Amino acid sequence: MLDHVITKPEEAPATAPNADRDTHRHIGRAILRTEDLRLLRGDGHYVDDDQPSRVLEMAVARCPFPHARIVSIDISEAMQLPGVRHILCPEDIVEATRPMTVLRPVPGAAALPYYALAQGRALHEGQPVVSIAAATRAVAEDAIELVHIEYEPLPCITDTAKTIESEAPILHPGILASNILAENVDQAGEAHRKLGEADVVVQDRFRVNRVTPLPMETRGILASWRPGIRLLSVRMSTQTPHLVRKQLAEILRIEESCIEVAASDVGGGFGMKLGVYPEDILASLHAMALRQPVKWIEDRLEHFRSATHGRESLHDYQIGATQDGLIVSLIDDYVTDLGGWNSSFGSSQLSSVTFAGPYKVGDAYVRRRVALTNKTPIGAYRGYGQPEVNFAREVLMDRLARKLGMDPLDLRRKNMLRPEDLPWTTASGAVYDSGDYPKSLDMAADAIGYEAHRNAKSNELSDGRKVGIGFSSFIERTGYASARFLMKRGSQFGAHESLTLRANRSGGIDIYTGVSSIGQSTETAMAQVCADILGVDMDIVRVHSGDTAASPLNTGSFASRTMIASAGALQEAGTVLRAKILRIAAMALECAESELVLEGRQVRHSQDAQRSMPLSQIFTRAIVGQGIPADEPPGLEVTTHFEPPEAAFAFGTAAAKVLVDPLTGEFEIENFVLVHDCGTVINPMLVEGQVRGALMQGFGAALGEELLYDEQTGQLLNGTMMDYFAPTAADAPPITLLHTEVPSPVTPLGIRGVGEVGTIAPAAAVTNAVCNALAEFQVEISALPLTPEAIWHALRAPSCE
Amino acid sequence: MMKETNVMEIQADINGDDIAEAVPVRMHAADFLRKRCGLTGVHIGCEQGVCGMCTIVVDGVAVKSCLMLAVQLDDCTVRTVESLEENGGLNALQQAFREHHGLQCGFCTPGFLMLATHLKNSGKRYTLSELREEMSGVLCRCTGYEGPVRAVAQYLGDQMIDDGLPC
Repeated sequence: MLDHVITKPEEAPATAPNADRDTHRHIGRAILRTEDLRLLRGDGHYVDDDQPSRVLEMAVARCPFPHARIVSIDISEAMQLPGVRHILCPEDIVEATRPMTVLRPVPGAAALPYYALAQGRALHEGQPVVSIAAATRAVAEDAIELVHIEYEPLPCITDTAKTIESEAPILHPGILASNILAENVDQAGEAHRKLGEADVVVQDRFRVNRVTPLPMETRGILASWRPGIRLLSVRMSTQTPHLVRKQLAEILRIEESCIEVAASDVGGGFGMKLGVYPEDILASLHAMALRQPVKWIEDRLEHFRSATHGRESLHDYQIGATQDGLIVSLIDDYVTDLGGWNSSFGSSQLSSVTFAGPYKVGDAYVRRRVALTNKTPIGAYRGYGQPEVNFAREVLMDRLARKLGMDPLDLRRKNMLRPEDLPWTTASGAVYDSGDYPKSLDMAADAIGYEAHRNAKSNELSDGRKVGIGFSSFIERTGYASARFLMKRGSQFGAHESLTLRANRSGGIDIYTGVSSIGQSTETAMAQVCADILGVDMDIVRVHSGDTAASPLNTGSFASRTMIASAGALQEAGTVLRAKILRIAAMALECAESELVLEGRQVRHSQDAQRSMPLSQIFTRAIVGQGIPADEPPGLEVTTHFEPPEAAFAFGTAAAKVLVDPLTGEFEIENFVLVHDCGTVINPMLVEGQVRGALMQGFGAALGEELLYDEQTGQLLNGTMMDYFAPTAADAPPITLLHTEVPSPVTPLGIRGVGEVGTIAPAAAVTNAVCNALAEFQVEISALPLTPEAIWHALRAPSCE
Repeated sequence: MMKETNVMEIQADINGDDIAEAVPVRMHAADFLRKRCGLTGVHIGCEQGVCGMCTIVVDGVAVKSCLMLAVQLDDCTVRTVESLEENGGLNALQQAFREHHGLQCGFCTPGFLMLATHLKNSGKRYTLSELREEMSGVLCRCTGYEGPVRAVAQYLGDQMIDDGLPC
């Protein structure tokens, strides 16, 4: 057990004398980040930081209605404005492009083709209708004001529950007979029969709020076109440069060889910057028409209406159990709200994978329905369905405990998979690999002080507030279970990560990866792993991120998979490179390879320290092909593509302690404990940073954030940062982080992903704590966000009187 | 509609350089610093004065440069993140952010650094919860704020008042 709160960050270590190369000198240590050196000086390179000469800027006219027919468009006045260079109207797009494409389709879903500009009809507020390239953004926006678009508002539907009813207006007639895009069932055993036979059944509808991922950097693209060599160069704020290249080629109808995509620094993504959006197509088309670079930087008002949202869903969850608390059936029948169109990553798909959580239940059933509404498309958001379903299941677990008169900790412990039960295949086919789930529960209970709370005579403080403790156990899928798994789901990408390791004549190692730097610290983590595999100093390793022209075709940074797959690629490439380095050194130093040690910045004889050669000399020999064994080809460069065979499942338990005022519903989180396992830790400082950041997004979505739509007009009511409250430094509750470290048997180095885990547990833990605090009032909470107002209303619900 | 050609001459000390420029009167200070002065460490996140990405120090005071017009910089002393490094390396504040993992994607970082520079210069003393309130003018979606708060608290040193709460 490691408490990573007590990490001691350090610079990359210098070569230790007589270091054993099998000892990890970098992996597992809190080594300070390489990325920081540029970002702290304002020397990062985000897409808007590039300002080429003659660059034009783009602005977009967007539909102000949630659903409208476009009657007419008049651009004549806008064309006259000085500085306006090019205007794209809907008909131009149909001529020049194919419809937008999807990277991660919903299995069984019909295609809903749509173009970068709305064709005759817009299905959500903010959908692009006309775009303009002009000398400056200000002029482009002036010109947008001069575009006259006549709309005929159409009946709209923004409520997820209502859109699946038969009387709802059908948004895609001709393609669909209802607003349900697709329906998928996963099951094992006989969940419905077992539920019918259960001694006790608890069930409810859980409403999960629509939120926005809200990275601090909005989207952005800079596109330039050179007709002479037919080259579209794109700089973009994206998590997936190589997948963007694929989509641009498809939609713009040009070959991939004509496109380069580079993303160096990305100011946060969280799943929202996956794949191509309409504006990326528009900027590219302007650039191709004008032979001038065109930039579009999304402003925050556009961001709220056109960058994908997340989470919104309704879970009808049922649990059946015996009188002594053995769960016999789990059923989740849920609807996710997709918005108007299928974005690149569409509806969250992992609720179905982890709906059963860490519990040993053979009879389980999950049905997902994907529903369309007149709202901004939903896309991936950190957690991708797992926070949603965890809220429903874990809140219902506590209700089951109350109904049975059982302690919620005991109920969880009784039903939890034990280490000897693993690997365990769930109803949806997921294979949980390894771990000690009950231990995380016990650690969380200890750390939050549950025993004392349970035994206390009263939970009331002198000021009248009530103390409550709540738990939330979870399972998280990290990475993908191979391309075979993805193929069954129609995904347009693989499960692998690819990279090139290339030695240079200065004695350094360059790593070229298509993974862009989005804050996930892979430049540091990759260098740590590479340094240990080769046995070299970390500071000779330099990671070049996110440029499709320089890196092998990879997948990208999402699904908590980057380091799992990259570690495998580094292991394979590093092993091959190291062997060649030693073969060349053996010839130069006239000894056997087995007598040599690769260490720091040199290769030396293990017994005779005087016999050594700096890496710069060995690398130069290899690169020029001089002074290397006769049967050895020149060059010192390896490209590998590594696909993990299985997904790794992270797990853990959260516990929240809250103080609730039963008069007002105001509450305070006194402590929040997260016990979590991400397998082998590459850098505990980075793990802590990922977990804390994701936790805060979890708190934000659970306790305050919500995109609100007016029921009558369908308008987004709080689409600005003035009205949508992301957590600030003053909102952060005290957090205790505890880790277990069970290496995964199915990934290289035993790594589990860590990027998303913090988002999963907070909602249920805090909800259960509030319900525990207010147990005497029999308060039940079934909707997020959990605000003081929601608690105030719950205290006045009929069941509480 | 205000014309792009409606310009005004301004003169300012920007990171120690004497800058004289004719700027459109409707251009905000953040755009001016980024596009005219090349100071791309000044980031823009909302242009509403909420997110704090564009925080700079003007005449010793932290301000959100998206809420300020470039013409208001006339005769002012302006400092951006690019002014912080010392002897070609990180200054104590930047070093503290590195040691406390106070940044991930780095987009909010210049805002926090300039806000902290102002807090240090103010000479005022803060409890930890007051510091968190002060820092709530800059948003961060990556770190969960623990790293930035620890870093600024370390940098402020004896300006921090021990309120008995754990950091």
